[in-house]
Amino acid sequence: MTRSGLLPRGLVALGAGAVLVAALSAHGAAGAGGDVASTAARFAGPRITGLRRLTEAQYRNTIADIFGPDIRVAGRFEPIVRPVHELIASGARDSSVSPSGLEQLDAIGRGVAAQVFDDKHRALFLPCQPHDEAAPDESCARAALLPLGRYLFRRPLTDAEGNGYVAMAGAAARTAHSFDKGLELGLAAMLESPQFLYIVETAQPDPQHPGVLVLDDYSRASRLSYTLWNTTPDAALLASAASGRLHDPAVLAATAAKMVKSPRFEDGIRAFFADMLLFERFDSLSKDPIIFPYFNSEVAAAMPEQMLRTITDHLLTRDGDYRQLFLTGHTFMTRALGGLYQVPVHKDKGWEPYQFAPGADRAGLLGQAGFLAIYSQTGRSSPTLRGRAIRELLLCQPVPNPPGNVNFTAVQDVKNRAMPTARVRLAAHMTDENCAGCHRLTDPLGLSLERFDGIGGWRTTENGAVIDPAGKLDKQDFSGAEGLGKLLAASPDASQCVASRALEYVRGQPSDDADAMVESLDSHFAASGYRIRALFLDAVTQPQVWEVKEPPLGAPTHLSLLER
Amino acid sequence: MIRPGRLGLGGVVIAGALALSGAGLLRGHAGASPARAQGLPPARLPAPPPSGVMGFVVENFVPTIVPGMDSCPHGTAPRLREEYLRTLTADEAARLRRKENEKELTNLWHAYAFGAGGTNICSQPDRFQHALFPPVESKFAYGLDLDGDASGGGGKDGCAHGKFVSPDGLSGIDNQEYRAMGCELELRGNDGSGGDSLTGMKQFHTSGEWTQVILLKNVHSLVKDDDVEVIYANTADRPEIDNKGNFLRGLSFTVADKGARHRNVLKGHIRDGVLTTDPADIRLAETWGQGGARDIRGNRTQYHYLKGRLRLAFEPDGSLRGLVGGYRPLFDVIVSTSLGGAGSALVAGIDCSAQLAGLRKYADGARDPRTGQCTAISSAMRIEAVPAFINDLPTSTETALK
Repeated sequence: MTRSGLLPRGLVALGAGAVLVAALSAHGAAGAGGDVASTAARFAGPRITGLRRLTEAQYRNTIADIFGPDIRVAGRFEPIVRPVHELIASGARDSSVSPSGLEQLDAIGRGVAAQVFDDKHRALFLPCQPHDEAAPDESCARAALLPLGRYLFRRPLTDAEGNGYVAMAGAAARTAHSFDKGLELGLAAMLESPQFLYIVETAQPDPQHPGVLVLDDYSRASRLSYTLWNTTPDAALLASAASGRLHDPAVLAATAAKMVKSPRFEDGIRAFFADMLLFERFDSLSKDPIIFPYFNSEVAAAMPEQMLRTITDHLLTRDGDYRQLFLTGHTFMTRALGGLYQVPVHKDKGWEPYQFAPGADRAGLLGQAGFLAIYSQTGRSSPTLRGRAIRELLLCQPVPNPPGNVNFTAVQDVKNRAMPTARVRLAAHMTDENCAGCHRLTDPLGLSLERFDGIGGWRTTENGAVIDPAGKLDKQDFSGAEGLGKLLAASPDASQCVASRALEYVRGQPSDDADAMVESLDSHFAASGYRIRALFLDAVTQPQVWEVKEPPLGAPTHLSLLER
Repeated sequence: MIRPGRLGLGGVVIAGALALSGAGLLRGHAGASPARAQGLPPARLPAPPPSGVMGFVVENFVPTIVPGMDSCPHGTAPRLREEYLRTLTADEAARLRRKENEKELTNLWHAYAFGAGGTNICSQPDRFQHALFPPVESKFAYGLDLDGDASGGGGKDGCAHGKFVSPDGLSGIDNQEYRAMGCELELRGNDGSGGDSLTGMKQFHTSGEWTQVILLKNVHSLVKDDDVEVIYANTADRPEIDNKGNFLRGLSFTVADKGARHRNVLKGHIRDGVLTTDPADIRLAETWGQGGARDIRGNRTQYHYLKGRLRLAFEPDGSLRGLVGGYRPLFDVIVSTSLGGAGSALVAGIDCSAQLAGLRKYADGARDPRTGQCTAISSAMRIEAVPAFINDLPTSTETALK
């Protein structure tokens, strides 16, 4: 959307709500597109240069942070579509909201608003007493709504916005004969506003570099917060933005340094790796219970959590080398997972640390049931899916999609005693030259993980035949998950890949056009000993990260009710 | 103190579940016999784990029967309705059997279940004098030689009784409970293949209401080892089952002292792949389904085996199969139906009074020196256990052998 300079379609739909798209231009009149220099020259104030839709997790975290964790967010969120070979963070820039998605968001927002002003919570958010509980009270409504609006929109409300929401609350209070109901509607309208549902990025000319646009302070605060903490900016960050200090590279660096040291950085790292490793696949993960009796709802829920605990424990708690993530034997177990892994678990509820024995071949992420399960089929493992995931997600080496007319008969015939193992079946499948090209990229990696079944359970035979865990990465032979982990840990592609993904995650756009930045990040990453805090700190403090290379959005096509 | 062979983990002893399961997750049973007469040849026995600790969760804990109707040539024990009719003259019984007299017959045989003062044959079975059921007439039964007295004299504190031979050739088998109750419909079923008691026990067990676990410590050899500590206990943890109802292997369970759970510490010996334990009191939790205190199905009772012992064979797939045997207090045997009260008699047609009389007649253990009557009866249950990780919390010893 920002690349094309057009508004997302969903915003038109959002206009059906209380606040219309024109609110997006509240910081000033939007201009037409053009090259950066001419744009910068033409406009003196901040301009909208991008919209990034909140993910479900970001929405939930934001509500919890602003209103408290006991406010329930009940409803189904329309997912953000992942662009091919990109992060959801990039897809968020192009994500619209469908009419049914808007209905869901409307219901969710109204549900939140009703809780915020119910008897249990009202006193927390109402700094005044209305003159009449059954009638509008403009000043009290303003005192209640404007501070909330500042947190929800991640910037102070404009006068037009503030007046509009207060007027809306007053009209509703008059109709409902309830001051609180009026506030509810005003808050619900804010929660339905694109200013809340989208992280609105605005830019302004860089005084240090004439002709260049850079994100303004409030946009910097939002980007820092949603990148590093996966939630809305807190009061301190908004205060820094208000003071205009986030433009100062030293202040920005100090702020970011503090944020990556905070326990809340774990939320950011969880969100990043969930995005990088395609965790949305867990949402639709299903396995044949006859083939995989150890797979159940508890195991399905624990799989992604185990991976995230392993990642955050290694990278944050232990401040470990990213490359060792492919080799670490430290992980966490629940009773349900213990059955799948066939290891003892002491606690009858919750998680406990676990360390795999040397030689267990459960090396790092690649030996985790979650990784192995989501890159498998419903009823069998898949060396191809696993190999492709390793290429694409961990090495950033895209593999083409298979052609539409592939004959999978040999691969799917898993009970054929003449072709007892996946290695044999894939060898038969690869006699088709149309398929062989890609399979040569994926299968030699995935076959090394064949001692893990379709849910990551350990096995040594398939159909009575011993499984050969030999693998090949480019020209290097190896064996098993541990062998693969060692090669990935030593691969410069693996560290550069995560650096590239980190940059994409920060900017919300692929790093294809940022080779120099990626190389710089990777170089600094290596110098830090491949520490994830250093990588993200570096990524958010690179001056180019805050530059806007694209033309600002076009003129609004709808008027806001608030500005009538 | 953690002895050699134990894997000490922060005060917790945990058994390695798959130490013996060379066959991984393979399932299967080596024959129909609940206990081998002979253990596996040494060549087929796996080596014990280096830790000396082995854990199991009991998958099946069911009454033993030798299938078929040969044991019960008179058929299964009659229902209460038939029993009542047998108390009448042939003419009167024939009259009442006629369709038009069904209501009268129902009223009469229902009345037969009650006695003075609102008593009934299941809640107060000792207040009635009903005819005994025909016992098992076969010489074959599964069980253990509990008294060591091949003559059937009952030993120093037992009562004289007949001895069985197990179908796989072991002699001197004591299982008088089977003799007394083996022709009950609930146990034998209509065709001799097993009745509701067997399937019901499986369901109760699968529910996890009283999951049993077996923990072996200090195991150095499956061929010959005379110093094995055996923990036979209940756990509050529920098993997971596959779509066929089989317990999943390699899950973790904790023996805790929460609730009415039990932890029996036994001394075991291993000979040629067969584990036996020395006689000791064994108590295990027994619940009848899931329910509240006012619901019969939630009642908690217990299995109590006087001079109880285990005889379990190590199987090639890593599982254990065998028996637990001992002398059960007589009333324990019918506690489930007795808890059912009049409902057991009127709905299921069970005559608890006749059952109790049979148990008294065939009782062979715990002789009361004062009366000379035996107060317990030899019994055996079939056990099948699969590998599991067992967390044995030391505090559980507080509940041991209470």
